[in-house]
Amino acid sequence: MMILQTLISGILLGGIYALISMGLNMILGVVRIINFAHGEFLMIAMYLSYIFYAWGGMDPYVSAIFIVIILFVLGLITQKGLIEPILDKPASTKIFATLGLSIVLQNLALMIFDANYLSVTTPYQSSVVNLLGIAISVPRLVSFGVVIAIVILLYLFLQKTMVGRAIRAVSMQRQAAYLVGVNVKRIYLLAFGIGTALVGLAGSMLMPIYSVYPTLGASFVLIAFVVVVLGGMGNMFGAFYGGLMIGVIESLAGVIFSPGLKEVIYFIIFILVLLIKPTGIFSKGKGSEAVGL
Amino acid sequence: MSKKHIFPILLAICAALYPVLSDDRYIMNILIMILLYATIASGWNILGGYGGQLSLGHALFFGLGAYTSTLLYLNFGLSPWVGMIIAVIVCIIAGMLIGIPTFKLRGPYFTLGTIAFAEVIRHVTLYWRDLTNGSMGLNIKYEPSFAAMIFKEYEYYYWLILGLLVLTTLLVHWIDRNKMGYYLKAIREDEDAAETLGINTSKYKMLAMMISTGITGLAGVFYAQFNLFFEPESVFHMNISTEIALIAIIGGAGTVYGPILGAFIIIPLNEILRASFPDIHGMNYFVYGILLIVIVILTPNGLLPIITKWWDKIFRKKVSKTKGVTKYDLESQ
Amino acid sequence: MILKVNNVSKHFQGVKAVNGTSFHVEEKEIVGVIGPNGAGKTTLFNLISGSLPVTSGTIEFKGETITNQKAYILCKKGIGRTYQVVKPFGTISVLENVMVGAFNKHNSRDQAAKISKEILKQVGLYEKRDQIGNSLTLADKKRLEVAKALATQPALLLLDEVMAGLNPSEVKEILPLILQLRDEGITIVIIEHLMEVVMTICDRIVVVHHGEKIAEGTPKEIANHPEVIKAYLGDEVSYA
Repeated sequence: MMILQTLISGILLGGIYALISMGLNMILGVVRIINFAHGEFLMIAMYLSYIFYAWGGMDPYVSAIFIVIILFVLGLITQKGLIEPILDKPASTKIFATLGLSIVLQNLALMIFDANYLSVTTPYQSSVVNLLGIAISVPRLVSFGVVIAIVILLYLFLQKTMVGRAIRAVSMQRQAAYLVGVNVKRIYLLAFGIGTALVGLAGSMLMPIYSVYPTLGASFVLIAFVVVVLGGMGNMFGAFYGGLMIGVIESLAGVIFSPGLKEVIYFIIFILVLLIKPTGIFSKGKGSEAVGL
Repeated sequence: MSKKHIFPILLAICAALYPVLSDDRYIMNILIMILLYATIASGWNILGGYGGQLSLGHALFFGLGAYTSTLLYLNFGLSPWVGMIIAVIVCIIAGMLIGIPTFKLRGPYFTLGTIAFAEVIRHVTLYWRDLTNGSMGLNIKYEPSFAAMIFKEYEYYYWLILGLLVLTTLLVHWIDRNKMGYYLKAIREDEDAAETLGINTSKYKMLAMMISTGITGLAGVFYAQFNLFFEPESVFHMNISTEIALIAIIGGAGTVYGPILGAFIIIPLNEILRASFPDIHGMNYFVYGILLIVIVILTPNGLLPIITKWWDKIFRKKVSKTKGVTKYDLESQ
Repeated sequence: MILKVNNVSKHFQGVKAVNGTSFHVEEKEIVGVIGPNGAGKTTLFNLISGSLPVTSGTIEFKGETITNQKAYILCKKGIGRTYQVVKPFGTISVLENVMVGAFNKHNSRDQAAKISKEILKQVGLYEKRDQIGNSLTLADKKRLEVAKALATQPALLLLDEVMAGLNPSEVKEILPLILQLRDEGITIVIIEHLMEVVMTICDRIVVVHHGEKIAEGTPKEIANHPEVIKAYLGDEVSYA
């Protein structure tokens, strides 16, 4: 029972990781940028959620709608203002531009909110539903439901709509997509926006569960990197499974070994995947690891 | 020896004489940090700048060097002078072991791989308290003696790290002027093309990795002896890795003196910003981040190439105006 | 015989890019490899130069079996190649680009520079030796490809469409260079779409289609070969 309980809480936790990682993967797969500031967008979303709650009395699940839109716009601004001008620059420029952005945002938060941990209180915060003797936290269950809904919506969007197909085309064959008339820059913009919107949603879902503090992004972005590599770059749904896997591994490792070792364990799994299948466990694409910045 | 070498040699001599002229401990401390970071960034430069393998995990070797020599000293009383050699060997072996899987990866994936390895070691160090004392870190008792590599006067630390930097620079200089430098640059630009021109790319990347990690480990030993205290976060943290790479890149990755220039810019900049905004928590790093973005965007190849260009414009008008002159021609003059 | 390709195949997940091809090249010959787009010509080069492993078959170079040896080892043994999609080392100078190749046979920098400068003069890039690789025009990048491969001092040189995308006067400049290289003792295998070029400079021509060799012979024989005419007219008219 203990193991089952752990397994379920791991899957629920993994949903949040999946959401964050799908955003990162969208940006990495389409724009070919490692967005080191991705975790900071999560942090911003959570602070926004806190502000909506503290000043407007708005429930995090309600303010999620506004936060997703705000984060989408922030993504557009970042792509237009920071990433687009450096697309032809060396890889090091791209890495340090987003690293610089992450430093700026982290310390902006520190200046505004100080290093305190902020959290919201909701009526359902500690509610639990009992399923066959397994206690499941309501906010975690809600967030997982949202994740599933988003995965389905994203799948439909990428498979069925023209824009979605264009995004996939750009992520697979940038040159060819350009030649058949896809406005590649526009697609980059959209992909970055969707990427940050996804992490915005993740922030809203996290707020009832976690506290927010300026350096929160750093730990989450590392997890997201692991998930993306596990799932395979450009493979949006690989990131979903990868996220669930890391969630389960983290929970199990905490029970079986020690909570202090959970990072070690998933980083070691990450390294093993690199050794055995560098394109990611769930990837079908060959040689996608060779796609340089 | 050509004219071109006179400038750096004079600079090194002036630097060596500095402690005779001044004994301001604050300035000396900053200078030691600059020289330390210049050394590590020069080591990183061999792999990241010349070879184009952008590692963001070099803190691993910095910390590994520090922990290796210090644990040997604390547990077995082994002199850090000997510990230094062992630390370098340990770091080279660790570099090889990490190179085997990560060199299969290209571009951003290599970078992510290096981050992952550094994170594993950081967390293992935090967890394995019996050996590493966990987050409490390691303390070296202040008992000045040459054998223990602990000095009362800052000058000795200063000369020690200056010597390390000079040796590192000579090594990078040698690489730059020889086959290996050309081969690493070719690998950086296009690995497949490099391979068809007769370059054993795996071998050269591994060589660059080993030299690079050895130097970084050596610097870690120095840091431990200078600070006499460190903990996992202060030696293994990703911020150290990014700082190392940043210094090399801002100065000019893939050039001999770029990382040194970078250290002389970034370390004092950090100090100045810290001193400028003592009241607002985070303001210094906020400004630092903005400057960083602006600098990397405006000078993607670093500052040294720009300075060299100005220098040439002013002092070499006659040559550069008509045809330009290759790096090679300049050096063989 | 400097090169012998025996029944070589390369399959990519069921696609037979090269399928049971055999041919040989004599010392100091210029052999043309032609065929419609997607016939497997570049893949054949990738197999000979060691950039890709073969699925089956063997390749012999100077009497030694070299199948599936690594590209850098084959370069050391004397196989040089250019890429159809040019691969200049973009941020280093033209001279340094060529010096990378020259280090294949020379360890001294001065020696490498000396040889590279001679080669640059030969291919007509000497004046541009200080420019960085990326700044060259396509025609010059193609020249640079040849210069880099030459600098490794190959016995066998594989030229992959070094004239595609060049205008007629540029083509005229590069033709004598190829003949001159042969006179210096280098054996050349050339993939080319320009029939005119192939017909003038090649001693023999190998025609591939759908990964298989369909004809082999002197330019005159090939021009009148019914299979060849069929293959070309069937797929694409690049004759005119």
